[in-house]
Amino acid sequence: MSAILKNKDARDKSPPTGPDAMFTDGPAVRDIWPAVRDDFRFYCSLHFPKGAGFPRRLLRCLRSAGFVLLAFLRAERNYVDCRRRDGWTLRLLALRIFLAFAKPLEFMMTKSDVWVSTDIGPNVYLSDRGYLFLGPWSVGSGTVIHDRVLIGAKAAQSDARPTIGANVWIGPECVIYGDSRLGDGCTVLPGSVLSMNVPDRAVVGGNPGVIVRRDFDNTDLRRSLSANIDRETLKCR
Amino acid sequence: MPVSGFWNTVRTDLARYVGKSELSKRRMLRTIYWEPGFQGVFVYRFGRLLLSKGDVILLWPLLALGWVAYALMVLVIRKGYDIGLSLSAEIGPGFYVGHFGGVEVHGCRMAENCSVGQLTKVGAADQVDGPQIGSGVWIGSHAKIPAPVKVGDQATIAPGARVLKDVPPKALIVGDPGRVVFRGFDNSRILPGR
Repeated sequence: MSAILKNKDARDKSPPTGPDAMFTDGPAVRDIWPAVRDDFRFYCSLHFPKGAGFPRRLLRCLRSAGFVLLAFLRAERNYVDCRRRDGWTLRLLALRIFLAFAKPLEFMMTKSDVWVSTDIGPNVYLSDRGYLFLGPWSVGSGTVIHDRVLIGAKAAQSDARPTIGANVWIGPECVIYGDSRLGDGCTVLPGSVLSMNVPDRAVVGGNPGVIVRRDFDNTDLRRSLSANIDRETLKCR
Repeated sequence: MPVSGFWNTVRTDLARYVGKSELSKRRMLRTIYWEPGFQGVFVYRFGRLLLSKGDVILLWPLLALGWVAYALMVLVIRKGYDIGLSLSAEIGPGFYVGHFGGVEVHGCRMAENCSVGQLTKVGAADQVDGPQIGSGVWIGSHAKIPAPVKVGDQATIAPGARVLKDVPPKALIVGDPGRVVFRGFDNSRILPGR
């Protein structure tokens, strides 16, 4: 036991316990500005595939609920991680005061709430129209989440939270809750309600949800916001 | 409704958010600041108080001020947080709105200790007799109760369900259209503010 306490590497690798445990699984502390800049570039590439002037791109992103939400989330996550690492500093105090006053305004603007302990990877698109209530363990990179989506229910006061893989497309009006895992590259059709594991590259839909099709490539859906999904693209009966 | 009754009702609502065992002042202030759902419920209670005092002519100057304040608060709650608790609904004490955004409660009758999540629609706007909901009912997010149905005490309506038929007490409703998948479901674990 004393060896573990003395050896810093071993201490850092020992499994975390207590209420802080949910914050330690993610990657190292990310600075706010690089993360927000990456999000900005990704949003611009989705909204303006042919490119546009900087003022136009900036205005489009500031009007988008999902971008504002992501920017707030990066700042909040940076605050939580830095406070765990460094304790209180002047920068963190200023950030804390800013967040405490700006958070209700963010609620009003985006009409959505994301739990801080969610690991959201790079290149994630959250809907411009808001109404997102997200609390999964992690959201993989390249995932597209449309408006009016609930992921994760804290109602039962349990640790059962979903995990969203990379390159997932989640349509509007979806509810995903419970201890479920969405595999990489799967597609959730609009209006579906799920609380089950979904294999990689599958298509699920319905209320309650069922697997509609296996091995579907959703790259077109994720690349363009104007892409459509119907029976033709799904190639099912 | 007497004014003391109004404050008791608001305190019961607050206890749903804070938890009965931990009703300290600090936690109460935090809840009032951070929970848009509670703010929405408070504004609704305030509006009901003004409605109930309408027949006392001596109070009318005071009521006029009250309605102006109510209009301003409703503007913030509706446009900002998108919580629409219509004054045509009769909601018992201990009402819990989880999160915010897209909550619509119109023309229905709810008993005490009910909970609703975000994007929940209870009752249609122009209905005179909306749904009647028993006590201790938990309505998950994205659930819809558009028809004038009766929901029994301590029933649980799962997230995303749409209720079109009467619901027996202590039932668990899942799916669209909603069907009973379990009878005798104990929802005391998922009710907030135990």
